[in-house]
Amino acid sequence: MIASGPATAAQARPTGAGAFFCGAGLHKRFGGVQAVRDISLTVPRGGVFAIIGPNGAGKSTLLNLMSGLYQPDAGRMIFDGVDLVGLPAHKRVRLGLGRTFQKIRLFKQLSVLGNVIAAFHIHHDIPAWQYVIHGAAFERDHARCRAEAIKLLDFVGLEARASVLAASLAYGEQRMLELARALATSPRLLMLDEPAAGLNAADVERLVERIRILRKRGMTIIVVEHNMDLVMKIADRVLVMDYGQYLFEGTPLEVQANSAVIAAYLGA
Amino acid sequence: MLTVVLQQGINGIVFGSLYVLVALGLTLIYGVLVQINFAHADVVTIGAFAAYFFTFAFGGNYLISIGIALMAGAALGWLVNAAIFAPLRERGNELLPLIATIGVSILLQNAMLLWFGPIPYAFDSPYSNKVIRLWGGTFITLQNLIIVVVSALTIALLYAFMKFTFMGKALRAVSQDRETAGLMGVNPNQLIMLTFVIASALAGMGGAMLGPILVLTPFAGTTVIVKAFAIVIIGGFGNVEGTIIAGLVVGLIESYTTQFVNPGLTDIVVFTLLLLMLALRPTGLIAEKREENV
Amino acid sequence: MPTDRVRISRRGWFLVVAVIIALLPFVIQDSYWRTNLIVCAINIMLAIGLDLLVMKLGVPFWMAFVFGMVLSGAAGMALSIFAVRLRGHYLAIASLGFAVIVHQVLLNWISLTQGPLGIYAIKPPPDIALPGLPVISFGNTANMFYLVASFAFLFYLLLDQLVRSPIGETLKAIREDEISASAFGINCTAWKVFAFGIGSAVAGAAGAFYASFVGTLVPDAFIITESFTILAMVIVGGMGTLIGPVWGAILLTILPELLRGFGDLRLILYGAALTLVVLFMPGGIAQAAQMFRARLGRLATATDAGMRQ
Repeated sequence: MIASGPATAAQARPTGAGAFFCGAGLHKRFGGVQAVRDISLTVPRGGVFAIIGPNGAGKSTLLNLMSGLYQPDAGRMIFDGVDLVGLPAHKRVRLGLGRTFQKIRLFKQLSVLGNVIAAFHIHHDIPAWQYVIHGAAFERDHARCRAEAIKLLDFVGLEARASVLAASLAYGEQRMLELARALATSPRLLMLDEPAAGLNAADVERLVERIRILRKRGMTIIVVEHNMDLVMKIADRVLVMDYGQYLFEGTPLEVQANSAVIAAYLGA
Repeated sequence: MLTVVLQQGINGIVFGSLYVLVALGLTLIYGVLVQINFAHADVVTIGAFAAYFFTFAFGGNYLISIGIALMAGAALGWLVNAAIFAPLRERGNELLPLIATIGVSILLQNAMLLWFGPIPYAFDSPYSNKVIRLWGGTFITLQNLIIVVVSALTIALLYAFMKFTFMGKALRAVSQDRETAGLMGVNPNQLIMLTFVIASALAGMGGAMLGPILVLTPFAGTTVIVKAFAIVIIGGFGNVEGTIIAGLVVGLIESYTTQFVNPGLTDIVVFTLLLLMLALRPTGLIAEKREENV
Repeated sequence: MPTDRVRISRRGWFLVVAVIIALLPFVIQDSYWRTNLIVCAINIMLAIGLDLLVMKLGVPFWMAFVFGMVLSGAAGMALSIFAVRLRGHYLAIASLGFAVIVHQVLLNWISLTQGPLGIYAIKPPPDIALPGLPVISFGNTANMFYLVASFAFLFYLLLDQLVRSPIGETLKAIREDEISASAFGINCTAWKVFAFGIGSAVAGAAGAFYASFVGTLVPDAFIITESFTILAMVIVGGMGTLIGPVWGAILLTILPELLRGFGDLRLILYGAALTLVVLFMPGGIAQAAQMFRARLGRLATATDAGMRQ
């Protein structure tokens, strides 16, 4: 399910036809720095969409605009027919937008399992009074959440570490827990912010495998990445940014062959 | 009418310059450590008592007693840092040192209450009764003149120290940008120790000069420190110039509220101003440079 | 399942505590100690209410004191809308400023509070007259104790259940990292307002008992000092847990009474306890108990291993 033909900034309009996520003319400025300048993107349903670019290209800022951590100075965003602009981050999660963070942001003083359970926040099914007088519905919900959390930990290979404090995990494990927590919100669009940063080769391999499984299940995934190898392995479509601006968009092969992209990466 | 306005302006500046002395210490410590020292109040009180006992129990000179209070404050600052802030620094918790210094403050206040009793001490400076006539029917007591002059000199000295000495420059650098400080090759422990000693010396001095114009009880420092907190926020935490301006402004607001509105309402006016300002600018008048990196 | 066993034993504990509370006035006939018991129960409520506010959310204490003592419930929620915009030290100072304002307003609003004179002769809760039973009067310290203690116990039970529900995880998540929490659909502002509301309501209840038990209300600087003693109870007991403040309240209410012979050392003791606990045992009694249990566990396994050899 790859979008047909290269979508340039000019062509991409948030019409919603065939597109799952649509952004048009996004701008974001911090003080004197224009972090994102007139970025438009169309993400089709299903598949892996990668956003790459050199350090400081504005990739993470774009992701923060999409997830609602920042609001854009200008531009529009539509996710599955819903206008996102103005919606705070926590409301976008309920629409099915999930994310991880580049700088790992675990709840360090909670257990690994507790981290995942906290991320189930929007999926509880408990009548209000049972929060203070635990009854059957509460116990059911409790059991279901635990079971699902353990399933997710199993998926990322952390089931044996469920009861330790998140702070005591190794770096690679912390990244995987970030992934498990994001999955706990049952996102339809999962945004991964540099998921491979700081991982060793074996960890990256496992991550790639997990992303492929999720893709096969029909989840739409956006990966912001630095690591070109990883992107070439998993992405169906790649958006290249440089200095906050659109540089190129195409399939991984097209990206690799494009001279402007190569120049940007080599720092020419 | 004009005389009253001018006279209250003078009184406001007298109190304001004392608030500046006390608040500067808080802001210096915050600039370097990003921590609040609640026991700063008791440094003020102990400075006041040190000066009192030096002048009245031992018959010392009042001006020298300001120096004694300065040294008492510096010693106490050194102790508070060594006993509380240094051991807690590794824990990296924003609230723990604050809570610990509240404990120290309760301890010191009640220990003083036990020793000195609850009855206010009459700390009469020999200069309180000497009045200097100024223009347009206004006047200033010699005591208040001493307060303004000593405060101004001290602040000027502090400025010079921060401008021209290596440690002073380092201190300023850390307050402005915590990350580059490490690059300057400064020993952070020494710098923090120095900050505490200077900050507490200022507070001790402030106490010695406040003693004769306030009611001297074991809780004298607390009434001042509460205002100093407001000043530090209004001036922008860690900002020396902002603190000086805010201190004088609060002194003036107080004295005009006392004269033209109602003496009972001064605290309400000052703190409503503080809350209003926080509602409009949640990180202080001069916004702190701490951008969230996500 | 080990978790089930733990839950049953927890219920068992509650039952034991309830029975102890019920029997205490029979055991203690001395009215002086009964008075202390009531103060103790009030402190427990204040401490757990404050704990929920301060420690679960990392919100500093002055705001909590003020909300708890002066306003409650709805007022707490309304004001928290302002508080949630501030962070860390700014919130601490704003709370202190708020405390000063409230104190001054109460002092100056003479038609309401009679100013520095205070309000006297506040009546105890009205008698309860059930048909067929003797009238229950709360002028009687034993009855007052049952009333206050049962409310303290009830609040503890409800709050305990609340923090053991997913709301507990939600609040902890907000305390740990608000940005991350929002990425899981948690509306941090709404939940902070909620926690302020609950904490203030509990503290407000305690305040009401306090007034009717002591019989007078004076807008005194004493109120701020007293807030610090409650802070000391929370810290000494162990912040971030519900049972910790209960231990802290019991210990710090009873200990100074035992030391009465040494003059008025109560507040000096509180100050020292607060400082020493933060320096050497930041988790308070709750943490100490946990470490003690862990050591006992290790000892048991060690002797087991020794016996097997």
